[in-house]
This record gives sequence, structure tokens and C-alpha cells, in this order.
Amino acid sequence: MKKIVYILTFLFASVTLAQNDETFNKGNALYNEGKFQEAITAYESILSNNVHSAELYYNLANSYYKLNRIAPSIFYYEKALQISPNDSDVINNLAFAQNMTIDAIDNVPEVGVSKFIKGIVNTFHFDTWAIISVSCIMLFVVLFLAYYFAYSTVKKRLSFISSFALLLIAMATLFFAFQKQALDKKDNPAIVFSQESDVKAEPNLRSESAFQVHEGTKVQVLESYNGTWTKVQIANGKTGWIATEDIKLLKDI
Amino acid sequence: MKFQKHILIVVFALSTAFGFTQNDSSNEVKFETKVSKKKLGVNERLRIDFEMNKDGDNFNPPGFDNFMVVGGPSQSISNQWINGVRSFSKTYSYFLAPKERGNFKIGQATIEIDGEVYKTLPVDITVTAAVEIPKDPNDPDYIVQQNIHLVAEVSKTNPYINEAITVVYKLYVSDNTGVSNWRELDVPRYNDFWSQNIDMKGVKIENGTYNGEDYRFVVLRKTVLYPQKTGKLEIEPLTLDITVDVPTNRRDIFGGRLMQSVHRTVSAGSRTINVKSLPENGRPIDFTGAVGDFNFKVTTSKQTLKATEALEANVEVSGNGNLKLFKLPKLSLPSALEVYEPEHKESVSVNLNGMSGVSSDSYTIVPSYQGKYPIPSISFSYFDLKTERYKTITSNEIVINVDEGPINTTNTVVNSSTPKQQIITSGDQFASFKTKTNFVSIKQPTFFKTNLFWTLFLAPFLAIPIAIIVRQKQETRQGDVEGNRIRRGNKLARKYLKEAKKTLGNKEQFYNALERALHNYLKAKLNIETSEFSKEKIQELLQNKSAEQNSTSQFLELLKNCEMARYSPFSNVEMNQDYDKAANVISLIDRQIK
Repeated sequence: MKKIVYILTFLFASVTLAQNDETFNKGNALYNEGKFQEAITAYESILSNNVHSAELYYNLANSYYKLNRIAPSIFYYEKALQISPNDSDVINNLAFAQNMTIDAIDNVPEVGVSKFIKGIVNTFHFDTWAIISVSCIMLFVVLFLAYYFAYSTVKKRLSFISSFALLLIAMATLFFAFQKQALDKKDNPAIVFSQESDVKAEPNLRSESAFQVHEGTKVQVLESYNGTWTKVQIANGKTGWIATEDIKLLKDI
Repeated sequence: MKFQKHILIVVFALSTAFGFTQNDSSNEVKFETKVSKKKLGVNERLRIDFEMNKDGDNFNPPGFDNFMVVGGPSQSISNQWINGVRSFSKTYSYFLAPKERGNFKIGQATIEIDGEVYKTLPVDITVTAAVEIPKDPNDPDYIVQQNIHLVAEVSKTNPYINEAITVVYKLYVSDNTGVSNWRELDVPRYNDFWSQNIDMKGVKIENGTYNGEDYRFVVLRKTVLYPQKTGKLEIEPLTLDITVDVPTNRRDIFGGRLMQSVHRTVSAGSRTINVKSLPENGRPIDFTGAVGDFNFKVTTSKQTLKATEALEANVEVSGNGNLKLFKLPKLSLPSALEVYEPEHKESVSVNLNGMSGVSSDSYTIVPSYQGKYPIPSISFSYFDLKTERYKTITSNEIVINVDEGPINTTNTVVNSSTPKQQIITSGDQFASFKTKTNFVSIKQPTFFKTNLFWTLFLAPFLAIPIAIIVRQKQETRQGDVEGNRIRRGNKLARKYLKEAKKTLGNKEQFYNALERALHNYLKAKLNIETSEFSKEKIQELLQNKSAEQNSTSQFLELLKNCEMARYSPFSNVEMNQDYDKAANVISLIDRQIK
């Protein structure tokens, strides 16, 4: 009985996968014909099956770009970059989409040690760091035992040094995994969807507006209040409260 | 006459007769008040005289509290000699104008004559309402007042703020007078207004009516005003000095009237304008104060171009209203575009209806990279005076297409006769869609911080102590040499006697197996063949291998027992003894031989 259920689920899964591929190809065909709106519908139906891929987001963003819809276009390029951060096509087209935005915000460059560490930490996903760490630990144990059981001094020395090097690496990668997870948790970007939105000094309508943001600008979400207001930070470090409905989070929680 | 003379004579006689008394009476001092009238209108004047018949000092007039002293005091002295009689009179005169209606008393005046103080009697004066003073039709002032009028005509006295109003100054002159010249004495300044004079080309005399009478009139000045403040605003009067020819009563020899030139000042009077504020209700956020009737549009010179080419975007408001008095809405452009400061242009003409024309901002835009750049729609709001409502016009969104990026400098190779053309890449292209993909589930399980992760991370550490303990046990075993030998010997014996043990109890099979086991052991240890088995050979070999005499003899005895067992009965007890003995001997020999 159990086996039948397994087989059925496997079959079902493969059928839906095939369906998704078919829809993806259909969307591409529509895109190529210039029917961007219909292509968007096709691509989004794939998303509703709870599957995704960088290419899907990329094609979706391209369609929105062709329709001159800045915010969703940038939103999906960023989504694609979350999955494959080094895709040159995505980076290239994102630059095109960002040409359409109105806001010009200077980045505050990070300097010194924190930039260096962040650079290293961001090279892998925290799961990758975890796997590296575990394998290092295993190798360390093997080498340590080799040191313990070895007879010749040369072998002992070699295995001892390499085992402790591996232990250090394992600890470092474990630290990176923690750091990466913390960074990911802190990093909660969102895209402004409303054409023009006032960023207020306080989370109410009465307070004066600190600055304005326009469609397509990327902001960092810091906290939210009451569900209707969200505290955001723009790239130059300024913060303020924006109406939650004006932005869309890049991470689905 | 004669009678009078007589009387005079009589009087003179009497006076001489009663000289003393007469002299006295003629020297009597009189000091009295005379007024020109006791009842007068408030617009009339009164003359009051204080008269005395003997010269005095320290005249002190009464206080004219309810009157204004218009003239005086003036003194007059008269000496008269009539028939040798001297009559003297001295008079102080005042001209008074009453300040108000009512009954007033003019108090006593005092004077000192010959050392004595004299006083007049108070006088009662009644001041009535104004009486009509008959006008002199030939008075030039009167003629100017009646025949020349300077009028300021205001088109609307309660406009909205920033709504155009006009002020026209007209000089009306009646037919029977003439104005030969005028000069502006005081040019009105329009505070709180934006004002512009409309140039008058020459003076045109027109006919019109003023208060129902025919007049000629001249338009002196036209001004368009835009109120800049709400509330009551005053327009200052225009004052003119005019030279008027006034007809006189005199006539020349031909019977025509002689004209007299008179300078007069006329003023238009100030006007108050009540400026309303624009309604708060429904005022758009982007309202910047435009009032009138407008059109609004945003245009670009081109929509498709190459990068680094320039393009102009025009924000234009045209129509009727306060075009110079508000700011045009600003374009918000994508930051990737290079935008220069807008150039402001106005072509506005002002006439009696206000300003009309076009006001525009033109932006020069240079895109540096290829791509699509939307110019977002902007809106312009104004107050429409006709409907008294705010109106908002929104421009269309324009998308600028920059289809070629900056072209790289071309390097043509001119080595061969036919110049080679290099492929010119025009910058980065907008990449097309991707055709292949691998879908993964959106919710991916994570590995980090799961139980599996921690187990895999920590479990290897456990392997270290375990390995160390195992190793240590092994080492202690190896260190115990005697025990090891015993263990090895026992192990060997158990190995060879395994079969014998199985058949324990069955005499024949047991001894067969035991004999075989002993032979096998010897074969393995001493490398001898079964054919060579003889007691001497075995003994010799064992002794060669330095086995002890005792153990060798035991081994041999066991072999002997095996042979004997075939032919004699053996009990189970003996069988067990032999098995134990065999095990002992094997392990003993094993320890001894080298």
C-alpha cells in the first residue's frame, strides 16, 4: 500500500514538473511574439505551483521591463539574483531597469574589516558553509587518529599539523555559517511599488515627510509597526517610515 | 436844520450852564459787544465787535469755545470831530465760524480804562442748521466743480486673489469748458498688486455721458491689476493739475465771452477693493496659484534617439490668466539621464482682459546609456474663474527609447589594400529571455542548525576517545607477554582440539580425533610428514626446538594413550583428563618452542 502511494506521488510530481516546463516554454513563445502580458500570466502560473528558478524570475522581469513597469521588473530581477547572484544577464538587465528609476541614491561604501569579512561570508550559502564545516570535522578526526596511530615521526607530524589546520577551518566555517545566517536574517530588502511615496519621520500621517522615494527603489526593511507602517532604510543610510502597502518584500516569509 | 441848530445852541448853553455835569456825561465810558447777527446757520460766519469810546489797555477777549476764529482780532480806531465835539471809538473785531449747532453764549470781554476795569454784557447766539448759500455761477471754482470730473472705473470690486481687474481713469469735460493742459501730480502706486500699465497711444476725445449729461471724455490711463493679497486693498487716487478755460461775464468787443484760464487740482478719489481668497475646498496639493483658463502639455522633441544625443522636453502652459505669477511644475526624470537646468521662456501679452500667452520650461536631456526612460506624467492645477472650481490637467507619460549605446572608437587596420572592417559592438545589449531552466521548490529545507547537522558535526569527536580506548586495551594486552603466549597457546589448542571436543564421550572417535589433532599440530609446528612420526623423531625435534623434557614426555604419553585407547576400555573421566591434558600440553609446548 505504502509503495503505491510513493509511486503515485512520484508520478504526480514528475507530471507537474513536466507541466511547469511546458508552461515555461509557452511563456517564452508568447514573450518572443511580443505578447508580454500573456507571457507574464504564464510565468506567474508556474510560481503559483510553488516552484521557482532564477531563469523564471529573469524572464518575468524582462516581460515587465518590456511593458515599462519599473517596480515589478526590478523586483523580479532582484529575486533572480537571490537565487543566482552572479548571473551576468540578470545584472546587465537589472542595470537597464534601474535606468528607469527616478531616485538617485548614493551608496555608503563599507570599509575595512567588516567589508572584508562580509565579502568572505557572502561567498556561500549558510548551508554550504555548514557542509564544509562538517566535512572538515570528519577529515580532522580521521587525520587526528592517523596521527595517533602512526609510527613514523614524519607521518605523525604531518597528520597532526594538517588535522589542526582542518579543525581551525571547520571552526571558521561554522562561524561563517552563523554569520551568514545572521546577515540573511538582517538583510530584508523590499522594492517600492507606488509611483511616489512619502517617507515620514514617524509612523503616522500627521508627521512631516523626511524624504520621498519613487517606484523601483530598493530599500531595507528594519521593523514594522501596526502592520500599516514599515521602517525602511535607503542606500545612503537615511531611515524613515513608509506605508506598508507601498512596498513589496523580496523575501517571502 | 435850523431847529437842530437851535437845539444844539440850547444844548451848548445848557452844557455851559451845567458845564460840570455835562462834562461828566460826555466823559462817560462805553464798552459794549456788537454781533452781526444773533441767529446764523452752521455754515455761515459771524462778526463780533468789541467797541469802546475811550482808549484802554489790556483788552481781554472772551473765550470763543464753540466757535472757530476765522479772522481777527483786528483793531480800528476812529476819531471824529463834529462841531468841535470829539467822538472817539476803538473796535476789536473777530470773525467766527460756529463749530456746531446749538445755543451758545459769548462771554464777557474786559478792558482797563483809566485804571478801571470795564466788562461787556454776554451775548446769546443761536446756531441753526446749514443754510443754503447761493452760488455764484461765475465763480471759476464752481464752474470747474460742476463741469470737470476725473473718474476711476474699476472692472470688478470683489475679485479673487490673482484675478485680473482693470482700472481705467477717465477725465470727463463738459461742452462749455475746455481743458488746455494737464499734469499728473500724484501717480498712484498699487501696493499689494501686480500691475501693468497699458500704453495709450495719443489722446482720443470721445463722447459719452456722465450722470445722464453729455460729456466729452479722455481715457488717461489703463492699468491691469492682479491682487496679491486678500482683504480690503486700496487703490491710491490719481491727482491731476489741470488748466481749465472758464468763461467769464465779460465779453469782448465782438460779444463773445472772454475765457479765463484757471489752474485746478482734481482727484479721482481712492477706491477700495475687496479681494476674496480662493476656496480651500477641493484645492489640489500641487496648486501653485495659477488662476485663469489654461492648457497644459509636456512634449519631447524626439522619442527615439542614440545615446549622447540631446533631446528637449518642453513643459508648457498656455492660456489666459496670471501666467507670470506662478511656477511651472517640475519634471521628475530618471536619474540615469543627464538633465540640465530648464530654460524658462515667456511670451505673454497684457491687454484689458489680463495676461495671455505661453509660459514654458524647456529641459535639455542627454541620455548616456541605451535603454528606455519614462518621463512620468506630471499634473498642473489651476483655479478656473468661470466655473469657480479647481481643475487639474495631467500630461501623458512619454517613454524615450535610446536604442544605441555609445559607439566605441573604431580602429581600422589599413595594412592590406582592402581595409578590413572590424565588428563594432554597440555597448551592452538588453539580454533576451532564457530558454532553459530547472525548477526547484520554493520552500527548500535547510541543513544548517538541524539535528542532523549537529550530529554530523559532533559525532566525529566521539570517535577519538573510542579509538584511543581501543588502542590502549590492545597495547596492554600486547604488553602482557606471558599472558599473550598462554592465550595464543590456548587458542591454538582449542583450534586443534575443536573436533575432539565435539566427539567427547565417544571413545573411538574421540581418540582418533585427538590423535589427528596432535599430529596436525606437530605437522604445523615442526614441519614433519605423517610418515616420519616416531617417538624418537618427535622427541628429538621437540628438544631441538627447546621444548622442556617434561612437556615432551607428556605429549608422547598422550600419543601413546591414543594408540592404547583403540584396544583397551577407557572411561569418560579418563577421556576428559586426556582432553585437558592435550590442551595443556599444546599450549605448553607452543610457549616453549622457538
